[in-house]
Amino acid sequence: MQKRIICFAIFVMILNPLAFLFSPGKSCADEHSYRDYEIKAALLYNFAKFTEWPARAFASQENTITVCVLGEDPIETPLSALSKLQVKGKNITIRHINKHTDMRNCHILYISQSEKRNLPDILSKLKGLYVLSISDIEGFAENGGIINLVRLGNKIRFEINITAAKNSGINISSNLLDLATKIY
Amino acid sequence: MFSMTKTLKWTLLFSIFFMLLVTRAWAEDAMSELTSFGIEELMNIEVTIASKKPQKLTETAAAVFVITQEDIRRSGVTTIMDALRMAPGIEVAQSGSKVWAISARGLNGRFANKLLVLIDGRTVYQPLFSGVYWDIQETLLEDIDRIEIIRGPGASIWGANAVNGVINVITKNASETQGTLLTGGAGTEEKGFAGVRYGAKAGEDMSYRIYAKCFQRDASVLSSGDKAYDEWQGMSGGFRIDKNDSSQSFYTLQGDISYGEAEDSIIVPSTTAPFSNVHDSDYSFFGANILGRWTYTFSESSDMALQAYYDNSKRNPFTLGLNKNTFDMDFQHRFLLTSRHEIIWGLGYRHIHEPIDNSDVIITNEEFNSDLYSAFIQDNITLVHDKVFLMIGSKFEHNDASGFELQPSARLMWTPDHKSTVWGAVSRAVRTPSFIEGNGRINQTVLPDDTLFPGSPPAEIALVGNDNFDSEDLVAYEMGFRHLLTKKVSLDIATYFNQYDHLRTFEQGSMLCEPSGSPFPLCLPGDNIFIPLSAGNQMTGEIYGVELSSDVVVNDWWTLKPSYSYMKVQLHLDSNSTDTTSESAEGESPHHQFSLRSLMNLGNNIEMDAWLRYVDSLPAQNIDSYITLDLRLAWRPAKNLELSVVGQNLLDNSHAEFKPEIIDIASSEVQRSIYVKFVWNF
Repeated sequence: MQKRIICFAIFVMILNPLAFLFSPGKSCADEHSYRDYEIKAALLYNFAKFTEWPARAFASQENTITVCVLGEDPIETPLSALSKLQVKGKNITIRHINKHTDMRNCHILYISQSEKRNLPDILSKLKGLYVLSISDIEGFAENGGIINLVRLGNKIRFEINITAAKNSGINISSNLLDLATKIY
Repeated sequence: MFSMTKTLKWTLLFSIFFMLLVTRAWAEDAMSELTSFGIEELMNIEVTIASKKPQKLTETAAAVFVITQEDIRRSGVTTIMDALRMAPGIEVAQSGSKVWAISARGLNGRFANKLLVLIDGRTVYQPLFSGVYWDIQETLLEDIDRIEIIRGPGASIWGANAVNGVINVITKNASETQGTLLTGGAGTEEKGFAGVRYGAKAGEDMSYRIYAKCFQRDASVLSSGDKAYDEWQGMSGGFRIDKNDSSQSFYTLQGDISYGEAEDSIIVPSTTAPFSNVHDSDYSFFGANILGRWTYTFSESSDMALQAYYDNSKRNPFTLGLNKNTFDMDFQHRFLLTSRHEIIWGLGYRHIHEPIDNSDVIITNEEFNSDLYSAFIQDNITLVHDKVFLMIGSKFEHNDASGFELQPSARLMWTPDHKSTVWGAVSRAVRTPSFIEGNGRINQTVLPDDTLFPGSPPAEIALVGNDNFDSEDLVAYEMGFRHLLTKKVSLDIATYFNQYDHLRTFEQGSMLCEPSGSPFPLCLPGDNIFIPLSAGNQMTGEIYGVELSSDVVVNDWWTLKPSYSYMKVQLHLDSNSTDTTSESAEGESPHHQFSLRSLMNLGNNIEMDAWLRYVDSLPAQNIDSYITLDLRLAWRPAKNLELSVVGQNLLDNSHAEFKPEIIDIASSEVQRSIYVKFVWNF
């Protein structure tokens, strides 16, 4: 008898949370708390919307914007959700790459904190490629990267290096430039 | 195979499958919401800072209960042991003024051996006896930040023998205990106590504190009503230094020293009439320790910690004199292998050197030395971003008694929203043999002449260690649910099914004649018979139960904290076992325990707190169930001064909680008591 009671109690325990799953009007959405890497992933999606690449950049992949992630970073998990979305009629593909991968096929490159030491090397490899480089490494924009994600207190901001953007053949919309906290 | 297990296993698998199926949609929902925001909105969102504690995941995917400093203060407890009564699933039973039996989820006893107790990462578990000597009381209660209690195995990364749970007492960082604190009080059982602490900064990055305290506790009362012989007193002092080298590097150095004296009343068996004597004696205990820890944070997702400590504890009760020296070193590293795999791994080494003074009651080797090597690895896998996590890990250990031990564990956690957590776990844990179980002899009782058969000499029964005694092992299946029902009511439910194997029994060995050594019945005149009960592993068992705890904020001045535990112990001796006593442990744990704390903030800076507790009977020990009530009234006449009066165990003159095992001690009861206290900060 006791065994039955315990089995039942456990079963009820499992059904309970499932019931919450199907209940309507979940007001939790407005109280959801976001991690910084989730916001950075959403910002990356928006940067793509405000950036124009030369037509040549899409020669081999007409309908896809490829986002490459270099290094190990928790941003990869929320980024994978972007593959369901589209930017200017093009699909988004997320790829994880290492330092030996040819970055020619990337439209956006996110460089993780773990690659801090290799930064000069990476930036020199990007010279002349149509790649929008984004990172949250300290001083990224100052040192030649295009968009630097910065945390100011509890909020995320970004800095843009327009010279680096020009050198990569990329055009960043003035709407985006207006929102940057610093321009190099 | 017990069908309970199959049901639980299938339920667990089914719930995992369901979770994965249904929450796939949820992950995308969170991101699709974020991506619908414009850039300006995104820049305005406040970010939550990820927890830097590497154990956070394993702690939330486990049966955790945290006792905060506020809980300790408002409950009026004067020892860590009494504070543990607030936690569900933990049995705390006191016999007299200084003997405690504390365990989690069953198999309690004075030498309860399945609970790991740590103070700031330093273990206070005694491998000699496989137990904890609770009378060493070093910390100032006001310096405790929190006590984390994790019921169930496999949740601890630091340390071995965490079979049924871990208790981690964490003291405050020195930067949080600045200025001077003076405290003192007196009462009927707490005859007197006083403490002082001073904390200050030394430079921008360094803070320190020093403290000293002393206490004296009255003797308790025997069930007959007579005064027991168990008065005790002690004093201790210590320091803690915390330093930030930079925002990434932290150092801690802490140490304590303590000394105490106590009275003991032991029933000593004798081979001559009257065959047992009550022996009252005084003993002293001493402890000193020093611990250093260095933590370095590489990034938000990667850090490491290195810790080393030396601990000395000496005691010389009539039963056994010990001088234990422990040196321990631990290293732990956490990093991201890929964005979905967080790896935590570590190495540890512990060396113990312990000379022993034998007595007439306990005889063993003259020295205990042990080397313990351990390692662990854990992979925290994000299956569905921010929603479903799987932890797979294992501890590896090599010890002198049982050799190599493997303790794997798997945990699954689902957080459907920020208000709820559902978790499940399967783990294996072992309780390694204590030194005494390997080679020692504890004289228990003597049967007078003529008892065994007409004309028989006196017969001494003793528990005897055995080299072949193996580890006890456990496979635990657990599940839990945590939910914030409303902003004012939270609920935490944990359920478990523990399957034990190779539990300790005492098997009757061949009778001998002493002191000649000839085998029975070839005794020489003047010999006594010696009946050895040799340590064996011939018992299996199942322990299962449910634990609930809740916080109810009734209104802005009144909070209620109820908790309830149900537990059933079922033990089975192997068919070839000759043990006659071990199965009685079934009736040595209460089926039900209930605790209700009420906290009221009345006007004029007055606090009124009440704590009602019910503990079910222990039929195998003839201990009745009991209900107790503690009341506390506190007043803050000035901002820095708190005066309080606390009444404990108010409903009865005295009540019994348990009868200590292994060593026969006159069993004593817990009395009604009252004390007054002041705490002054400046």
